Amino acid sequence: MQISFDLIIASLIDGLLLGFVYGIAAMGLTLIWGVMNVINLAHGPIIALGMFSLYFIFDLFGLNPYVALLLVAILGLLLGVLIYFVAVHRVIDAPHLSTLLATFSINMIIIGLGTAAFSASPRNVDFSLGSLSLGPVTLLGTRLVAAVLAVAVTGGLYLFLYRTRPGRYIRAVANNRDAAELMGVPSAQILALSFGLGTMLAAIAGGLIATFFPFTILAGGVYELKSFVIGVLGGLGNPVGALLGGLILGMLEGIIPAFMPTTWVPVLEFLLFVLILLVRPQGLFGARK
Amino acid sequence: MALLEIRDITSGYGEVQILWGTSIALEDGKLTSLVGANGAGKTTTMRTVMGQIKPWAGSVWFDGQDISSLSAHAKAEMGVVLVPEGRQLFTDMSVEENLEMGASPKRARSHIPKNLELVYEMFPRLKERRAQKAGTMSGGEQQMLAVARGIMANPIVLMIDELSLGLAPVLVLDLFQSLKLLKDQGLTMMLVEQNVQMALAVSDYAFVLAHGKVELEGPSRELAKNEHVRSAYLGL
Repeated sequence: MQISFDLIIASLIDGLLLGFVYGIAAMGLTLIWGVMNVINLAHGPIIALGMFSLYFIFDLFGLNPYVALLLVAILGLLLGVLIYFVAVHRVIDAPHLSTLLATFSINMIIIGLGTAAFSASPRNVDFSLGSLSLGPVTLLGTRLVAAVLAVAVTGGLYLFLYRTRPGRYIRAVANNRDAAELMGVPSAQILALSFGLGTMLAAIAGGLIATFFPFTILAGGVYELKSFVIGVLGGLGNPVGALLGGLILGMLEGIIPAFMPTTWVPVLEFLLFVLILLVRPQGLFGARK
Repeated sequence: MALLEIRDITSGYGEVQILWGTSIALEDGKLTSLVGANGAGKTTTMRTVMGQIKPWAGSVWFDGQDISSLSAHAKAEMGVVLVPEGRQLFTDMSVEENLEMGASPKRARSHIPKNLELVYEMFPRLKERRAQKAGTMSGGEQQMLAVARGIMANPIVLMIDELSLGLAPVLVLDLFQSLKLLKDQGLTMMLVEQNVQMALAVSDYAFVLAHGKVELEGPSRELAKNEHVRSAYLGL
């Protein structure tokens, strides 16, 4: 097979742009883990709900997808707070198996209801921003905007965590929940807010992905798995690590199909996952504990 | 009337009962100490007062109000502040951020400049290290920060669990001196201490806890002369 340099560059950049969105998804997973040591197994279905919310807001109300994304973000936040109080709060101090089962049951509930409501046939957000050609590289408008938004969301998250009172409370609760409570911080509310921010990021990622590819209610699963790989790659609990990990994974996905069949992509991704866990379990950008 | 009162509390962890009817009262403006051997139930008493452990029976009263069922953050909001055993700092945050976290209760926020000045005056070391991560400081500095963070909460009652634990005697003396400064400003305080001699020397009134019950109580000066206290706790 003849591999052209131009093709590789084009795939690399395409993957990189997609990687920004993977990064946002992974950031949602890793934020929840970092604050409350809960692995949110409902992450994938929430990404899928982000896709469907954007689709319906766009399709029914004819809103611009990026305006719709703002609503999707708010819905994601509210859904997360609801999930926290309904399913997670009562098992927050229980062993990890309990929180895994609690979030897994939310996963099953969303998939079940979603399949009943939306059927299993794929949907598509019929929206295009055209494309930008730079020499041999063609960049899709939706991918470019998604990447820019992903960077803005990351920046916004950092400003929130480091420059606002609720953000400082989140970091304090993540660091030492008992001490935060003794200092007058209502820790249950802060945990709910953190969970909500995590699901908000998942919903935003889903909304952005919906502008690229067709999807069903099951479409979030693959991004949930990617989020795990990225989370481990970037260091669980580290938001910037998640974004960088997303970029690495995106580029790998862009470049692997240039050399071997696409079906090898997940195999190599999970090989990487296992390797990182064996060699550098704190992640590429995580601090040694 | 006592400002903070613990009435006949029983509590424990799971099936294990630790407190068997503990009653303690803190008088307004006084420095009270709660002393006892390791395992007597001092820390459990503090955790129960703050609501980190729910009392099985008995009640906690603050300023004439029953606060037994309130959560720890609600009590901190009212001005009942505990500096917990083992410092429990926000180790990933800077000294300054830890102090800001101390000032989380709404009633503390407008007093931030005044309290910050006070704690920096009490512990000049913290001012020098204000940008340093709390987790990287020495044990003594961390203990200073833990006390300073408690003061930032603008407490009405300040309770300090094991101030002296693991610290060099010189440092302990320094810390006790700074407590006197706070007492002179009229703050109601409770010291929970294994270091009985030191606690009796600085406090006005003391409770001796043994096996989850108050065994003895009285003015500290008198307890220091008590035969039983001298032989059991002071090794005299």
